[in-house]
Amino acid sequence: MADYARVDLDAENQVTFELNGRQVSAPAGTMLVDACYAHGVEVPIFCYEPRIGPPVGACRMCLVEVEGMRGLQTACSTPVRPDMVVRTDSPAAKDGQEGVLEILLMNHPLDCPVCDKGGECPLQDRSFKFGGGKSRFFEGKRHFPKPLELSSRIALDQERCISCFRCVRFSQEVAQDGQLTMQERGVQSQITTFSGDAYEDRFTGNIIDVCPVGALTSIPYRFVARPWDITNTPSVCGLCPVGCNTELTLRDGDVKRVTGRPDPNYEVEEGWLCDVGRWGFDGDGGITRLTRAIVRDANGERHTDLTDAVAAATVALRGASKPVGVLLGATATVEEAAIALELAGGALAGARVARLGIPAAPLAALRATPRAQLDEIERADLVAVVGGDPGLAQPITELRMRKAVLRNGARLVTIGSRPGTLADVATHVHAAPGALTAAVAELAAQIGATGRPVVLWDEAELAAEPAAAEALAEAVSANGATRQIELGADVNGAGLRALGIPATGLLEALEAGELGALLTVRADPRSAPGRVAWEAALEGDVPVVALATHADRTTDAATVVIPVQSLLEQEGTLVSMTGRAQRVRRGAEGPAGAAPGWEVLIALGHHLGAPPAYRTASAALAAAGGRYAGIEGLTYDAMGVGGVELPRPAADHLAADAGPARAAGSDGLALVATRDVYGGREASRAPALAAFHAPAAATVSPATAAALDVTDADTVTLTSPYGAASLPVRIVDGLSDDAVFVTLGTADAAAEALMPPDRGPVRVGVSVEARR
Amino acid sequence: MPLLNSVYRQREAGKPLVTLDDYRAAGGYQALPKVLAEMDPDDLQYEFMRSGLRGRGGAGFPMGKKASFLPKDSQRPKYVVCNADESEPGTFKDREIMEFNPFQLLEGITLAGYAIGAVRGYIYIRGEYEHQARVLDRAVAEARAAGLLGTGLFKSTFDFDITVYRGAGAYICGEETALLESLEGKRGQPRLKPPFPAVAGLYHSPTLINNVETLAALPPIVEKGADWYAGLGTEKSPGTKIFCVSGHVMRPGNYEIVLGETTLRELIFVHAGGLRPGRRVKAVWVGGSSVPPLGEQHLDTPLDYEALAAAGTMLGSGGCIVMDDSGSVVRTTLRLVTFYRHESCGKCSPCREGTSWMEKLLQRIVDGQAGPDDLEMLKALFGRISGRTLCPLAEGAVGPVRTALELFPDDWADALENGVPVPEPMLPVSS
Repeated sequence: MADYARVDLDAENQVTFELNGRQVSAPAGTMLVDACYAHGVEVPIFCYEPRIGPPVGACRMCLVEVEGMRGLQTACSTPVRPDMVVRTDSPAAKDGQEGVLEILLMNHPLDCPVCDKGGECPLQDRSFKFGGGKSRFFEGKRHFPKPLELSSRIALDQERCISCFRCVRFSQEVAQDGQLTMQERGVQSQITTFSGDAYEDRFTGNIIDVCPVGALTSIPYRFVARPWDITNTPSVCGLCPVGCNTELTLRDGDVKRVTGRPDPNYEVEEGWLCDVGRWGFDGDGGITRLTRAIVRDANGERHTDLTDAVAAATVALRGASKPVGVLLGATATVEEAAIALELAGGALAGARVARLGIPAAPLAALRATPRAQLDEIERADLVAVVGGDPGLAQPITELRMRKAVLRNGARLVTIGSRPGTLADVATHVHAAPGALTAAVAELAAQIGATGRPVVLWDEAELAAEPAAAEALAEAVSANGATRQIELGADVNGAGLRALGIPATGLLEALEAGELGALLTVRADPRSAPGRVAWEAALEGDVPVVALATHADRTTDAATVVIPVQSLLEQEGTLVSMTGRAQRVRRGAEGPAGAAPGWEVLIALGHHLGAPPAYRTASAALAAAGGRYAGIEGLTYDAMGVGGVELPRPAADHLAADAGPARAAGSDGLALVATRDVYGGREASRAPALAAFHAPAAATVSPATAAALDVTDADTVTLTSPYGAASLPVRIVDGLSDDAVFVTLGTADAAAEALMPPDRGPVRVGVSVEARR
Repeated sequence: MPLLNSVYRQREAGKPLVTLDDYRAAGGYQALPKVLAEMDPDDLQYEFMRSGLRGRGGAGFPMGKKASFLPKDSQRPKYVVCNADESEPGTFKDREIMEFNPFQLLEGITLAGYAIGAVRGYIYIRGEYEHQARVLDRAVAEARAAGLLGTGLFKSTFDFDITVYRGAGAYICGEETALLESLEGKRGQPRLKPPFPAVAGLYHSPTLINNVETLAALPPIVEKGADWYAGLGTEKSPGTKIFCVSGHVMRPGNYEIVLGETTLRELIFVHAGGLRPGRRVKAVWVGGSSVPPLGEQHLDTPLDYEALAAAGTMLGSGGCIVMDDSGSVVRTTLRLVTFYRHESCGKCSPCREGTSWMEKLLQRIVDGQAGPDDLEMLKALFGRISGRTLCPLAEGAVGPVRTALELFPDDWADALENGVPVPEPMLPVSS
């Protein structure tokens, strides 16, 4: 993986020293390994991993000669000093490196031909490059039972372990889940969990990426491919709005594995992935995947091919006597949205385009304040999280915040209705649902007294409390040093907003009978917040053309269903919650009966008699980049491999995109619709993530449970002005009293049934349905 | 030549000093009130430095100098940590101090705490010393009840208390940074240095770590003055040192001698009663099992840091293991390497794997399964382990083997030829 830290050779404070006879420089404090690497000299390492923490000097692989220092030095823990004379290739240094490799290989089994790591193994590569080529070890090797299941997703082959402690340090210092440890000592040392139970947590897969040998391998990837069978493609995860940069491993037209990038994007994920991002690809296939187009008409339902389906879609859309509605889901790409807008301007003139998401107007002022990328969290002295539970909704942000606290001593404050996953490192300031404004006022005072504050705010919770959003916008702009990071709700919400697409208007038009047909692009309004209203509005004879990857409530009822490729299968652009436009690449081939969404939309344009002037996703984006100010000049070249940050939206951007003003009322309990990618629809489709699967529940505090006279053996019916849902009760400490927490995005879409389409504040009545 | 019981006050008293009254009657707790009434912490530190007292744990680093490395302007609390993880094979001197003279240790730790401005002392005692830990616990409680630990000692502004913490039985926790890790509740493994404990030790705070014997030597130094102590022994090796004589001697035990006055021969043959009749000295590991052995030809070496270094070994912990000519140097070397393999913490590769490799090679030599190439391999391994590890444990495993090869070439040649027969009777070797 990343292995060496980045070195800024142009920074201030350069120290000049001699490296293998050359005069070179690096900033003071840089470790020798990193300085050498920056100057093209590879000093081999195993335990060093600057992303995990400071050097530990365990493997001794990086021995080099430093003139004037006795014996060999570990380059990972020796900072550069002025005029030091370093030799990495002298006979002594080479003997040091060869010696450590010989010793490491002593007990390491030579089962490379059957090892998943073989061919992409740092130990193998460095043995070839720096090793002596021959072992003098004739004794019997150490043996352990193999392989062990460290968890349902990770296999541990203890014999291959070289005790670099990277996985243990990741668990202790990065994820801080406190689970992994080394037991026994000396040559009998072995990786295990403290409790002896499986290593089940939310970021566990990263230990596979950091393992420099084949000791930790992915169970779903076990024996699936060898490095010479595969190609790797850089891409971006489409499962949450963080936009982690990923690498797709492809074989036989399929994604077999997702890993962090070898060259991480330090402004986003820093090379780490959450377990959903790593193994969620597994759910892309499966029984609900749409593989053939469906047309439903007077003659019933028939499966058909794409050409026929596009023709049928054309008939359905053109036949409408009234304007057409186009609804874009959260994962619709920038290209697809831009083509939909073009259709609305030509082939489907008068069409009303909207996105499934949160209205933008209440948050416009806040979004216009100075924004940061995730790396800024590390440099902050105060990190405040306003609303939400980012560890579950935008998981990778949690690791940055933990790093800020553990490694840099930042203060972390979480404000909201629940302590969340950061409870062990944060000061939690409780704010009941609807009471964020007062808490934000308190935070404003803190921000004023701090040097470099970073505020992370939850899109959904602040949109539900516009006054708090306004107060936060003021607090952020009051101090010139404060930066804000949006904890977005929708994968490409920022991309759709950048094109000026509102979240409101379409449903209202549909309810008013103003629309003649509906085209949905990766959108399932029947499972979305306000789904009861959507279902009612679609009750009549409005034909629906649905472009979707998986069968859902909308495709089950649509007139025409056109299967499209998933974000692992087609080209596209997503804009992350921090405003980074990043490229999704074609990895898997996808079902034969599916086509890229952008291609289907272009084909519709052709059939409708107003063909767009482009034929590729790349050209579609370039055309959009010339048309929309929010993505001005955006092209695939401009994004490159790491993406590009788009300009912040103006404070009056989408000013009209607001739901009706609404007070939550005072009857019943406040409903908090939470987000949890681990319990979401995508994760529930992935067999590899089975350990996370949990049924939806009505979660309440112990006091609330007592007040309602329910236990966690009961099932309750929640009723709001917008719908009803039956859910089992779960009781969790630390939550706001007088509130019910229900997770969005679960298979039964229970929270969605209780909510209005604009997701405004809701209160629910609770009645006990069944006692077990 | 004669014994001088300065640390071993209980021997002077002729009885265990496990109650406060007994310790006081034997002259204890006179140093502390004197210091609190008359001396600045800096003066006390200077007194320690002038005494020339060197660390008795094995490295022999001057104690006063070590104390002076603690930053004076740190915002963090300072700690004194007493290294009572006495695990070096052949070493049992601290055990006697803790068991029979615990208050002198407590007084010494308190003096060191005052000298560096510490808020608390910790005694990290090896897990196997269960009885000694109980004695210390009782002593601490008694001292606390008598106002000798706690707040405002002797009506001064100095607050100090001591916590006894039991290890879990790992040799590596005698290494100061591994000890600190273990004391913090973590897996006992050495830390990367720098930073050194003086700057960032326990809980990342300035910490003075010293051995039991070192700290117990402080009260007499204060009572009788640094000049008295510095006047004992040689210029570079002043004071008294306890040697733990074990092995093939008639009177094994602890002997506190003045450094430089006594030779190895006198220690073995006068104090420890000599060997069994008809036996000759084969090998002596003077400073614990981690130091290179000496042979019969070295018996007239005076026991002090410099003379022992000149003879090719180290004073170490003073754990003097004597083997007569009934023993096998080759088999003993294997046993020692087995110990180091077993105790290697596993953090750094050359030690973790290298000690295991050495053990396997030596086992084949003992079993008569080895050839001359294996001896060369063994020698080649020294260079691949020595100087490349994180802490001195592996050095302690390599040094004795290297010297045993040099000093006793005939024994090795014979072993290569015939192996080493199992001696009778022999206790089973645990792994």
